[in-house]
Amino acid sequence: MKKVLALILALCMVFALAACGGGAKQEAAGGKTKVTLWATGSDNVRQIFETLTSDFNAKNDKYEVELQFMLSGTGAQSLADLLTAASQAGQKNTDYDLVDFSGDDWSKVTNLIGEEQFVKLDASKLPNAAGVAAKSSVAPDYCQPYRGTTVILAYDSEAVPNPPQTVDELVQWMKDHPGRFAYNQPGTGGAGDSCARSFVYNFLPEEAFTSTDEKWIAEWDKGFEFLKEIHPYMYKSGGSIVYPAKNQGTLDLLNQGEIDMCPNWADMVLSQRASGAIKDTIKITQIQPSFTGSLQSLAIPTFGSHEEGAYAFIDYMLSPAAQEIMVKQMAAIPLIDVSGMDMTGYEDLNDLDVSSFRIQSIGGLSTSFNERWDNEIATIG
Amino acid sequence: MSKKAKQMLVAYGLVIPAFMVVMLTVAYPILAAVIKSFQDPKTGEFTWANYTYFFTDPVQLKNLLYTLYVVIMTVVIAIVVAYLLALYLRFTKSKIAKTIGTLYLLPRFVPAMCAVYAMITIIRDSGLINRIGLLFGKDIHLGMMYHASGIITMNLWFNIPFAALMITAGLGAIPDSIIEGARDVGAGKFKTFTSMILPLSLKDVVVASTFVFMSNVGSFTTPYLMGGTSPKMLGIALFDQFNKYLAYNRSAALSVIMFLICSVSAFVYIYSNLKEKEWEK
Repeated sequence: MKKVLALILALCMVFALAACGGGAKQEAAGGKTKVTLWATGSDNVRQIFETLTSDFNAKNDKYEVELQFMLSGTGAQSLADLLTAASQAGQKNTDYDLVDFSGDDWSKVTNLIGEEQFVKLDASKLPNAAGVAAKSSVAPDYCQPYRGTTVILAYDSEAVPNPPQTVDELVQWMKDHPGRFAYNQPGTGGAGDSCARSFVYNFLPEEAFTSTDEKWIAEWDKGFEFLKEIHPYMYKSGGSIVYPAKNQGTLDLLNQGEIDMCPNWADMVLSQRASGAIKDTIKITQIQPSFTGSLQSLAIPTFGSHEEGAYAFIDYMLSPAAQEIMVKQMAAIPLIDVSGMDMTGYEDLNDLDVSSFRIQSIGGLSTSFNERWDNEIATIG
Repeated sequence: MSKKAKQMLVAYGLVIPAFMVVMLTVAYPILAAVIKSFQDPKTGEFTWANYTYFFTDPVQLKNLLYTLYVVIMTVVIAIVVAYLLALYLRFTKSKIAKTIGTLYLLPRFVPAMCAVYAMITIIRDSGLINRIGLLFGKDIHLGMMYHASGIITMNLWFNIPFAALMITAGLGAIPDSIIEGARDVGAGKFKTFTSMILPLSLKDVVVASTFVFMSNVGSFTTPYLMGGTSPKMLGIALFDQFNKYLAYNRSAALSVIMFLICSVSAFVYIYSNLKEKEWEK
């Protein structure tokens, strides 16, 4: 009996080892060099990357990009952790050839391992980048933005033919049309976060927008007074003021005609409009000072293996063809000149100026912000 | 090793996996949460502050009372409606009663999310009822969305079939002979009900109420999608403490408070079961 067991165990180990061996680096089929791209996000991000990598692989005869995708929120080890581990273990020539980052991921990783663990980008290897005006707010020399998204003001053009252009005009509009504006509860969706925070941070110096310093908490009072002032003009149901949960909550109200305006994500509004989920009359615009947005970027770790291949893919991502795919599939804001692209159905994106994007990262302060909002604004009733 | 000892080992061996699963996934987390609820978030020292917060902070106190209001209204209305429905199904032998008897369990087969969104599209201020009203020139605003009345209505959809199922089973166990006996000695319909049917089915009513009560104290989906901004039901308040404010010690305290609220009804349930055994003696 014991002998049989030992034999089975031994066999298992052999197979396990063999499986490990199979994972070693391989040349891709057709003599192309394999470049591994690491990305994380929601499922729509996976879909877009699958489309883009297969398009790239069909067009490029030197490199074959393979996608390693981690769905966010699945409890798996995060990309930031994996990179930190590889870097701190002093690994060289890993398959972390190219990584995809949002602004937040990027600050997290650079805080942990420093930006010098990434390749300082050589502009001569990225000819398409010349047409990109947007710059990353953190470490612009090390990461290349390729798409943007931002919170905008969504409105029903039938009810509001001339949408407000500034925050002051918006406030005046709210007062003239009580109950026709809503933003979702901060902490339940990025649009509400962006709206409440921009309204508060409009009273603070610009540097506070990207600061995690607790000293700014003391300066929120004026902004919260402002939120209290506009509170009575918000959407009402069942006799009291309501801030719906989630980005979709306000968008549904807008679509049903219960409100005429709400802050929301540009990509969310446009892709739902394109698929027919919401009315055609819903349009988007940006007000000044604007709501906040973010840029998605690519970076090349120094401990990867195929720098040239990574450059090739980044350059491809900034080509009109790739940008058009991102517009069509996820209503991303293109970062290059759109004159050569087919923007049918997404014309609204042309008016969004990525160079005036306000990017906000207040880190842990957001927890205190949400708690204060819940205690001071939500409870007014 | 003796044969008996071997048998013992086998018995324990069979029990241990299940026992360990319960210990690791139920008992240990509960214990850890209770300990955490008495700890200061910074120093880790013993404190009552996490508990006093929920009973002294006006916002949290409002949440607690609001939850009790919604849950008690749900229990009372669900039980009364379910009881009437069960009586009808038990004592009416028509085709309609039979049809209702088959259909009333249907809501239990509709996924919760679908049901909530269906209800929202009907009762919201721009929903089905409003649109039907507009056809007749009336702009009806029910005001049920983002309001306690909407949450209670939704809870009734989930709980009436469940309560009716339990009470129908109880009423079904009352033999016809008892009712005929009461009639024989001259009891009217009302008297038969108050002195025979009601006392005999009371235990099922109590059990159904406790189940409805417990399942609604911590409800999340319905109040999250249909509730207003403030006050909030405890399930949402707990979500805020845990996910939004990252206040883990307070979250633990709130969980214990919710557990204690539920255990009141668990106590009623156990008590009513024990009482029946005495009555059977």
